[in-house]
Amino acid sequence: MRFNEKELVCLSRQPSEMAAELGMRGPKKGDVVKRRLVKLVVNFLFYFRTDEEEPIGALLLEQCHVEREDSQTFSIAFLDEAERKYLFECDSEEQCKEWMDSIIKASYEFMRKNLIFYRTEIHRLTGKDPLEQYGISDETRFQVNSGSQLMTRDTSSL
Amino acid sequence: MKIDEKVVNYFESCNSPVDKEGYLSKKGEIKTSYQKRWFVLKGNLLFYKDRPGDRDVIGVIVLEGCTVQLCESEEQFAFSLVWSEPGLRTYKFSAEDQASQESWIKALLSASHSYLALLVTDMENKYRDTLLSHSSQLHRPFTMPNFHTSAANFVEAGVSNQTLQPSNILVARVFSKKSPKLQSKKNSNLPPVSTPALPMLEHLGLSLDPEEDFSKMHEDFGKEVKKLIADWSKRRGGDEPTPDESLIDLG
Repeated sequence: MRFNEKELVCLSRQPSEMAAELGMRGPKKGDVVKRRLVKLVVNFLFYFRTDEEEPIGALLLEQCHVEREDSQTFSIAFLDEAERKYLFECDSEEQCKEWMDSIIKASYEFMRKNLIFYRTEIHRLTGKDPLEQYGISDETRFQVNSGSQLMTRDTSSL
Repeated sequence: MKIDEKVVNYFESCNSPVDKEGYLSKKGEIKTSYQKRWFVLKGNLLFYKDRPGDRDVIGVIVLEGCTVQLCESEEQFAFSLVWSEPGLRTYKFSAEDQASQESWIKALLSASHSYLALLVTDMENKYRDTLLSHSSQLHRPFTMPNFHTSAANFVEAGVSNQTLQPSNILVARVFSKKSPKLQSKKNSNLPPVSTPALPMLEHLGLSLDPEEDFSKMHEDFGKEVKKLIADWSKRRGGDEPTPDESLIDLG
């Protein structure tokens, strides 16, 4: 599969609040825990050998399950297969929680759902569609229910 | 650098929302001729394959750090994705007609993760302001809700040495009563729509019997949203389509 590798490597160099050395274990049988520099940038989790500039790999954080394994360890599972489960060992419970939280929130789909929620709620409370001012109300990206449109409501009865 | 191809393929084929799809001609990376491909835009990822029905993706373009531009080309209705840093590439495309060109450009312009992040933050602030002004109308003291996934994760992880805050216990009980699918230990990054409503309700329901009031409010909210959605669906049938504003003035 082709992908824009150089550009993705460039993305991995962007500053990120979530970057730390963690123990990481790959999904294949026989994979062992290795110290890696793990870095979260947009919806990708990059992992580097601790002394290297270019990441070894990039994990797309969409359609994945983040699960607590024990007090300091979490896993990211893809495709509901044990096969594609990556394990991460943190230095503390707090760090573990922080990473799990950040990874879940980094997903594009998670963010989209939030947006739709806020849009719906603001409209419900005010009768106005908050995306209208940006001229993006019609974009399919932000539709509440595959194409339903938010209309400015008469709120005189409220 | 490796990329997990199975995961990427899966994301393309699963039923997560497709933001745009269609045929475009793409200038080859080695051969300079344009080749027609089927493109699928999902979030900040642009996938391409030979035909819509194909299972395997030929390639994917991660849309971060690039700009979308009209470009000079021997092909008509051309546009490009440009990474401006040295050594980084430009992808050139050509659409079938002007409408398609404009539509693709518009979709790609708003595809980045950062764009969505900014928009969500903006909406979150607006929501906060709306609730504050709303609650002052209701004459209730108001605490700003904390929109965290951690309340949900906390509960479901079932880690026994955690001290649960009362509000989290509340969350736990409601989840087990109302949302059976959340009972699994796994936390996906696809929370059900009901989740976001909870943080706010936690605070509003505190004056009365927390558990009962909380569940009832949660249900009421859910019903209201469903009703609204139903109303919009009905009304949408009778509406005149709003004219599409031309993104690019080519006149």
